[in-house]
Amino acid sequence: MPDFYTPELDPRHPKRHLTALDTPFGKRLVYDSVSYCNRCGSCQQACPTYLLTSQETFSPRGRNQLVRLLTEGKLNLARNRQLATEALNSCLLCGRCTQACAGKIPTAEHMLELRRTLQAPALPSLLFTLLTWRGTHPRFFRRLVRAGLWLRRTGAVSLLRACGFCRLPGLGWITHADDILPSYPAAAVRTRWRQAVAHSPAEPTLIYLPSLEADFFMPQLALSVLQLAEHTKHRPAVWANTASGLFDYVYGDLRQSRRLLRRLILRHTAVQNGKLPLLTDSIDVYLFLRRAPQLFAAWPRWRQKAQDFAQHIVFITDLLPHKPAPAADKSTRVRLDRGALFTREGTPFDSARKILQTHFKKNFVECLYKDADTPAFGYSFVRGNLGEKICMSAVRSIARTQTGTVFTLSGLSALELNYYLKRFYPLAKADHLARLNG
Amino acid sequence: MKIPSAALRQLQQTVGKENVLTDDISLSLYAYDCSLSRTRPDALVHLLSSADIAPVLRILHHYHIPFVARAAATNHAGSCTALNGGVILNTAGLNHILQVNTQQGYALVEPGAITGDLQDQLAPLGFFYAPDPASERVCTLGGNLAQNASGARCMKYGGTIDHVLEADFVLPDGTEMHFSRQDPGPDWIGLLAGSEGTLGLIKQMKVKILPAAKHIKTFLVTFPSLSDSVQTVSDLAAQGIIPRCVEAMDQVTTRAVEEFAHSGYPINAQALLILELDGAPAQIARDEKQLEEICLKNHAQQFIPAKTESERQKLWFGRRAAYAAMARLAPNVMVGDGTVPRSELPHALQKVRRILDDNHIYASLLFHAGDGNFHPQIIFDERNKPDAVRVTRTIKEILQACVDCGGTISGEHGVGVEKRAVMAYQYDTPTLDLFTKIKRAADPQNLANPLKLIPLDYEAKTRAALPLPAAVRPLAAALLARRQAQAPVVIIGGNTRLRSQAANTLSTRELCRVLEVDKTNYTATAEAGVTLDELSQALQKAGVFCALPKGRGTLGGAFASGCMPDFYPYVLGLEALLPDGSYVRSGGKLMKNAAGYHLTRLFAGSQGTLGLVTQLTFKIFAQPVALVHNRPFRPGHITPLWRALKTQLDPQDLFPALPGGLNA
Repeated sequence: MPDFYTPELDPRHPKRHLTALDTPFGKRLVYDSVSYCNRCGSCQQACPTYLLTSQETFSPRGRNQLVRLLTEGKLNLARNRQLATEALNSCLLCGRCTQACAGKIPTAEHMLELRRTLQAPALPSLLFTLLTWRGTHPRFFRRLVRAGLWLRRTGAVSLLRACGFCRLPGLGWITHADDILPSYPAAAVRTRWRQAVAHSPAEPTLIYLPSLEADFFMPQLALSVLQLAEHTKHRPAVWANTASGLFDYVYGDLRQSRRLLRRLILRHTAVQNGKLPLLTDSIDVYLFLRRAPQLFAAWPRWRQKAQDFAQHIVFITDLLPHKPAPAADKSTRVRLDRGALFTREGTPFDSARKILQTHFKKNFVECLYKDADTPAFGYSFVRGNLGEKICMSAVRSIARTQTGTVFTLSGLSALELNYYLKRFYPLAKADHLARLNG
Repeated sequence: MKIPSAALRQLQQTVGKENVLTDDISLSLYAYDCSLSRTRPDALVHLLSSADIAPVLRILHHYHIPFVARAAATNHAGSCTALNGGVILNTAGLNHILQVNTQQGYALVEPGAITGDLQDQLAPLGFFYAPDPASERVCTLGGNLAQNASGARCMKYGGTIDHVLEADFVLPDGTEMHFSRQDPGPDWIGLLAGSEGTLGLIKQMKVKILPAAKHIKTFLVTFPSLSDSVQTVSDLAAQGIIPRCVEAMDQVTTRAVEEFAHSGYPINAQALLILELDGAPAQIARDEKQLEEICLKNHAQQFIPAKTESERQKLWFGRRAAYAAMARLAPNVMVGDGTVPRSELPHALQKVRRILDDNHIYASLLFHAGDGNFHPQIIFDERNKPDAVRVTRTIKEILQACVDCGGTISGEHGVGVEKRAVMAYQYDTPTLDLFTKIKRAADPQNLANPLKLIPLDYEAKTRAALPLPAAVRPLAAALLARRQAQAPVVIIGGNTRLRSQAANTLSTRELCRVLEVDKTNYTATAEAGVTLDELSQALQKAGVFCALPKGRGTLGGAFASGCMPDFYPYVLGLEALLPDGSYVRSGGKLMKNAAGYHLTRLFAGSQGTLGLVTQLTFKIFAQPVALVHNRPFRPGHITPLWRALKTQLDPQDLFPALPGGLNA
C-alpha cells in the first residue's frame, strides 16, 4: 500500500489536493502528469538548484521521479520523509524546467502536490502564521504589519538583531526581511496611497489588486501602477489588503486557497457583473489567478465561474505603452528578470521583453539560457542558503553584461535583487517593470 | 551486493562524508537514464574533483566493487545504470571548462562539462565544437566520448571520436593514463569512444575546436519518395558537396511536426530534406546552384532556401521540435537508432515502416540522411507492460532489419543494456570474443560498468561466422603453422616502413586486390597488401579519389604502422586475422557505428602487435581531397593497456613483441 496519496488515491482528503492539472495538452491526473517525464534530462541544465549541486536529488527529473516512485509505492515515504522534504523545499517552483521540457511537465505543480501530502512546513512557523492572517484576519494583519514597520523605523529591529534575538531558532527570517525591505516610505507617499485606497471611484473601469509588498512596503510601486492605469484612461478601484489565495496555494492548505479564491471571485462578480479587468502588479499572483479554474476541477459550477474570472485578469504589461516615453533614459543597459512562479513563458513575459526592447533597443540585454533569475515568492525564506547562491548567480550575470537596471515582474523580486546588488554590484539597481517610466 | 562498511568509510575519507550516499531516495534517483533500464545501485559517490577519481577507483578495485560512471544520464541505451549494483560515480560535478585555446585550436575540459556550455563559450570567440548531439544543451563531453555521440553535422565533421585530441584516463584498478593522438601506437582515444565506461573513467579531455562558419545557408527540399531524397544526398557526395547538415523526415513525421511546431513544412511530400551549406559566400553560391540542379534532377517538388535568419531558425525549429511533437502524445518516447549504408536507406526505411505497421505502433521517423542513420521515435506508456514489451520487441526487429541491410544497431546512441542482446545478431563469435578480451584487458575484475555492451552467453546466439575469405586462407594457414611451432612472426606489408631484416616475416603482399569501389556510398574496399600506388591507380580508373598519398608502401602498412593517423577517420571497416587464428569483421560501408568497441581504431597504429589487418573499407570522394600527412615510422609508446591487450590477444607472443615482453 503506497503511503503517498495522489488525489485519486486519497479518498480521505480529496479536497487537500488538485483533482487534475491543467497542462498545455489537456487535463491530467498528477500521476499521469508525472509519468509523462521520459527522463530525457532536457530540464536538468535549466534548474538553478541542479546547476548549484549537480545532484539528481535537486533536479527536476529527480523530483518528478521521486513523486512517481512515491506514488507507485516504490519508495516508502515514512522512512524517507526528511530527504523528500529537502528535495521538495529546494525547488524554486520557477518553471524553468517546464519551459525546457518537450512534454511541458509541470514539475512545480507536482512539488506543490507533494508538499500538500507531506504537510511539511516550508516557511518558518511564525512567518507562516503571520502571513496566513492576511487571508483570515486581514485587519489584524494590517495592524501587525504597521506595528512591525513602526518598530523597524524606531530601530527596535536593529536592536533585536544586534542582541542576537534573531538568531534564535525560527526567527532568522526577521534578519532577511529586515535586509531586503526598503526604508520607510515618505509621509507624502503614504498619504497618497492611503487616499487612493480610501477614495475609490463610484464607477470604476478597472480593479487593482495590489500585492502584499506593493500594499505595505512599496507604496511607490502601487502608486505607479495606479498612475499607469489612469494613463490608459482607466478609473481604478483599489482592493487593498486582499489575499488572492496564492500564499495558501504555495505554502498552506489548498482548501483555504480555494476559499479565498472563491471569495475573490464572488467579490469580482459583484462589481459590474464581473466584467471589470482585475489588475495585479505581481506576476506570481497573475499566473495563479489565470490558473484558478484548475483549483475547481471537481466543482463544475465554480470551475466555470473561475474560468470567466481568469479571463479578466490583467498584468501591468497590458497597460504599459509599447511606445517609448520621450523622456525615458535609454542610455543604461537593461534586462528583464523573469523570476516567477510556475512558468517563464507566456504573454506577460513576451510583452515585457517586447516593451523593454522597444524602449531600450540595443541596450536591452538578452539573457543567456542559463542566466539565473531571482527566486520568486519568498523562496529565500524557505531555503536561504540556496536562495542567496541563486541571487548571487543573477548578480554575476548582471555584472558580466554591465547591466544598469534590471526590471522585475514582481515587487518582491525587485526587493530581493536590490539587496544583493547593493552589496555586490552597486552600479546596478532593480526595479519593477511598472516603474519603467518612473 | 552489500558494500563493505570499510569501503564506505574509505570512500568517505576520500571524497567527504556528504558525498557518499546510501539512502533510499538518492539510490532510487540514480537508478535510471533515458532508457527503460532501471536498477538501483548500492551506493552513490559524488565526484567533485577529478583528482579523486583514481583514489576512488583504487578503493573500489581493492574491495571488488563494481562501479558505473554517470553524468547527465541522457543516453537512450541504458548505458549508465548499475546492472550489477555497486557504486554510481556521479561525474556531473566535474563540469569545468578549464581552458580554451583558440591559437592552437583546443579546449581542455572535465568530463562533466556540458557540450552546450562549451559551444556558448566558443561562439563569442568565433569558434565551435563540431559534434552536435541533439541533447547538447544537457549532455556532457565525457558522456559524448563514452557513447561516441554525434549529430546533424556528422556527415561533414565526423563524430566525437574525431574531435578528441588528448584524454586523461583512469583504468578500473586506478592506474592513470594519458592518451594523445600524437603518440604512436593504437588509437586509444578511438577505442575509448563508444566504450560506454566499460574500460574505465575519463578524467580530462582536450577537444578540438574549429573556426565557426561565418556564412550558412539552409534549404528545405521536398521529394515524392524517400529514395529520391537519399539519391540526392549520394549525388551531392559524388559531386564533392558535403553539406554542413543533412536532416530528413518522412511524411508521418512531417505531419506530426507541422501540427505541433507550424514550421511551414509541406505535409504532402513523402520525404523532406533540410540541407545546410557553409563556407565562403562565393562557394555557397556555387554549391547552391549545383545543389538545386541535383535536387531537381532527383524530382524535388520544392526547393526553398531560407532567406533570413528567422526563416532559417523556423526550419530548424521544426526539426528540433520533432521529439517534442511526439513527447506530448504519450508518456514515453523511445528513440531508436540504427545505421545502414546510405544506399540501403530507402529499403531499410520501408522495412522499418512495415515493422512498425505490423506491430501497430505509431512512430515518427527522422534520419541523418548523409550518414544513413535513422531514428524511429516510438510513443508508448511504459506503465502498460504489454505495450512496453511490444515496443521493445519492435525495436529489436528494427535493429535486426538494420543488420540485414548491412547496417549496425547503433549509429550514435550506443549499446548499453537495451541493445546488448542484438549485438549477437550483428557480430559473430570471434568478434564478440575480441570485445570480451578488450574488456578483460582493461578490466580483468569486470568492475567498470559490468554487463553492458557485450551480450551474455553469446556463443549460442550469434549468427554463424562467415567463411574465411579465400585470399586470406593461405595466410591463416601459415599463421597456424607458426603458432603450432610457437615461432613468432613479424608482419610486414611492403616492408617500406619497418625495414625488417628478420627471417620470420609474414607478408600481406599476396592480398593485393581492390575489392570494390562503391560509387553510391562512396566507399572503397581493398585488401591490406595493395600498395598505395596500385590503390591510387585503381581509384583513378574509377574516377574517384581518397585521402591517401601515393607510395610503395601498402594500405595495411599505412594504416597499422601509425604513420598516417589522419587517415583513421576515413576508415569505416576492417577485417583482421588474430594471433589465435580467429577472423574478425567490424564496420563496413557505414558512415558511423557506435555498436561495440571501435576495432578500426584498435588496430590502427597497432604495428601488427595485436592482429593482422587483411582488408579495409574507407571513404572515397568524387573530387580530389587533401592528402593525409605521412609521418616517419616510430615504434609505439607502450602503455599498460597495450601490454594487457597483447596478453589477452596474443598470450604466446606470436606477433611482434612489445619492448620488454608481456610481463614487463
